[in-house]
Amino acid sequence: MNELLTGAVTGILFGFLMQKAQVIRYDRQLAALRLQDMTIVKFMLSTILVAMVGIYLLFDLGLIKLSVKPLILGGNVLGGLIFGIGWGIVGYCPATAMGALGEGRYDSAFGLLGMILGAGLYAEAYPLMKETVLTWGDFGKITLPSVLGINHWIVIVILAAAFIALFRWFEKKGL
Amino acid sequence: MDILRKKTWSPYTAGALAGLLLVLSVFLTGKYFGASTTFVRAAGFVEQSVAPERVAGMAYFLKEKVIVDWQFLFVVGVLFGALASAWLSKEKRAVAVPPMWEGRFGASRVRRWTAAFLGGGVLMFGARLADG
Repeated sequence: MNELLTGAVTGILFGFLMQKAQVIRYDRQLAALRLQDMTIVKFMLSTILVAMVGIYLLFDLGLIKLSVKPLILGGNVLGGLIFGIGWGIVGYCPATAMGALGEGRYDSAFGLLGMILGAGLYAEAYPLMKETVLTWGDFGKITLPSVLGINHWIVIVILAAAFIALFRWFEKKGL
Repeated sequence: MDILRKKTWSPYTAGALAGLLLVLSVFLTGKYFGASTTFVRAAGFVEQSVAPERVAGMAYFLKEKVIVDWQFLFVVGVLFGALASAWLSKEKRAVAVPPMWEGRFGASRVRRWTAAFLGGGVLMFGARLADG
């Protein structure tokens, strides 16, 4: 099937699910950052829980390829901190800003315009970043199982148990 | 299809379904979900309309080619999926200022929109530095 068509269909389904879970709202995202409401954390961890089992199952069967991003401490840590400051202000991440616009929360349109500007500014800064920040603590494409030298299913079972314990705690605390 | 008209699904159910969607996507098309590269491409398109030669020579736009690809349509699709879901469940439309923001910073649209614009810019710079 056409790549653009599958992209559109996948995006529509994903946007539908995010709207139904109410995770594309400023109030939900800020409430998560303020540790008042864990709806988006429940959604994200449930996605990761199902996907990590499914992806590694298909990987073990030799049916798919993994997509591993490099660990570059300079970029990941500094970028993460900058992302966090921006996220706390705009209250939408990139995909949810698109969803929020579809839902009628049109303050996100200004967030989206800002995001395009930020991407353009990063393109200007990229040559400098490549020489500096992106050379700090570059560990290449590593994963938890490869660093720990253990089978990936051990990591998956431990993470799954941790997620489920966290879910039970959220429900007990009414988060 | 009453379930599609419901205002809210459990975040666990919807999240698990999103996980299944991701697994299916990787299995059928080899595509993992992402969004922020699309904003680089969008910026590239905007800049191309002003200074195409400059964009053609910039390292970052050579790395992330300025094209409409799978992810670009994925990101656009999210808007329409959310629109369809909100329409089916008859959600209140058009919110200019989020309630929590209004409670803390007041009802000024200009203030909220300015903050959203600046916050979005900072967020995306960080996202690209961290590589998505």
